[in-house]
Amino acid sequence: MSALVAMRLTAFVRGGRAAVPLIAALVVLGVLYGGGQAGVAEGYGVSAAVLFPVLAWQSKLLLDAEPDVQRHLARVTLGERREWTAGLLAALAAGLVTAAIAMAAPWVTGGMRTPRGAEPPLAVGLALGVWAHLLALAAGVALGALACRAVTRGVLPGVAVLVTGGVLGIVLGLRGSIAPWLVPPLMPAARALTDTGPTAAEVGLLTAHAVAWAAAVIAGYAWLRRRRA
Amino acid sequence: MRLEDVWFRYGRRADWVLRGAAVAAEPGSTVVLLGRNGVGKSTLLQLAAGVLRPVRGRVTDRPAVVGWVPERFPAGQPFTARQYLARAAAVRRAPAHAVAAWAERLGLTPYLDTRLAALSKGTAQKVGLAQAVLAPPGLLVLDEPWEGLDAGARVLVPEIVAEVTAAGGAVLVSDHRGEIAALPGATRWTLADGEIHASGPAADTVVVEIGVERAAAGETVARLRAEGHTILGVRG
Repeated sequence: MSALVAMRLTAFVRGGRAAVPLIAALVVLGVLYGGGQAGVAEGYGVSAAVLFPVLAWQSKLLLDAEPDVQRHLARVTLGERREWTAGLLAALAAGLVTAAIAMAAPWVTGGMRTPRGAEPPLAVGLALGVWAHLLALAAGVALGALACRAVTRGVLPGVAVLVTGGVLGIVLGLRGSIAPWLVPPLMPAARALTDTGPTAAEVGLLTAHAVAWAAAVIAGYAWLRRRRA
Repeated sequence: MRLEDVWFRYGRRADWVLRGAAVAAEPGSTVVLLGRNGVGKSTLLQLAAGVLRPVRGRVTDRPAVVGWVPERFPAGQPFTARQYLARAAAVRRAPAHAVAAWAERLGLTPYLDTRLAALSKGTAQKVGLAQAVLAPPGLLVLDEPWEGLDAGARVLVPEIVAEVTAAGGAVLVSDHRGEIAALPGATRWTLADGEIHASGPAADTVVVEIGVERAAAGETVARLRAEGHTILGVRG
């Protein structure tokens, strides 16, 4: 299966599709950090939330890069489950690179300042940043998978799933949302990373929420892929 | 590989493509799938290969290694033929030397460093054939494998089929060009109106292509039929 993951990542990069979401991520980060310096945990919290739709789009692009018949060939070779698992792993790997760039970029451009006052120390801020970006990565890959051509079978339905998921992720994540459990907890995580940072219980709860959301969406993806090769 | 009461359609409101298909391709056997265009031959082959799942019924005894040659090889990929086949071999866990060996045999060696998208249809089809046999398949599924191949390469198909069956594998091949004569001893499945009719191997026949004046075509066809010959097609 690792050979198929490598093949898909290579095709994604060589085909030129990898550049587009990466540029989009850099534009988003430029807007985010362009207005001044941010605290470590707070900056990373917002960065993870705004990267969620970008990571979802990147995952969809990666999964759609392969021609349908080539995906079918992979399914014949490795079986249904390993074929789609390899796709998710490739999307995770590509998303990890984007998330790493998102975490490094503000230090290069001077968009991040060292902690002050009651803010979490630098090491804790960095760890919380990794945590927030991993939440966004899991949610982004899950949404991107649900929007991929193998499931939606067309350009417009795929875009609709992507945009709806991305917008709802923000809107239903706002404070006082009527159904926060319907979307990944990226906005709540961003809020929790302000000021003194989240408590261990908050981190645990938000992680459980994000894992449950991604697992439910991936389960739906797996169910749909049983009938949609 | 066995189809047990397999029903298939592409959507809840779509017509059934297959209705209660119950056939088996035994190890060491060759099955030729016949039927007119659009009748569902490729669908049946994809069910056999494992691309599609039956809506009802099941496919059992599918070997662990399945080679599938799709009707059209997906050439729109950013690889050369060599890179593609090397990666296909890695995915299949086939030995790396299998790429060079099959490339040589299929006449692909001069094109190994050509990008897939720049290959001719026939050469791309050979790449499709090579990827399916890099690891010896227990079931080889060929969807119109002769399509686009030149005369020299067309004779390789029956050779490969014979090798797979000799090694105990089963071969399932669709044919609408009348190439069945090149596969002696093959069982025939005829697909029509969603149902499969299996029949034993054809008599020892060959295909003779003849050219006649257009005006005489109808009369010639009628005369040959009257003499007991099978007309596989009229073109031109």
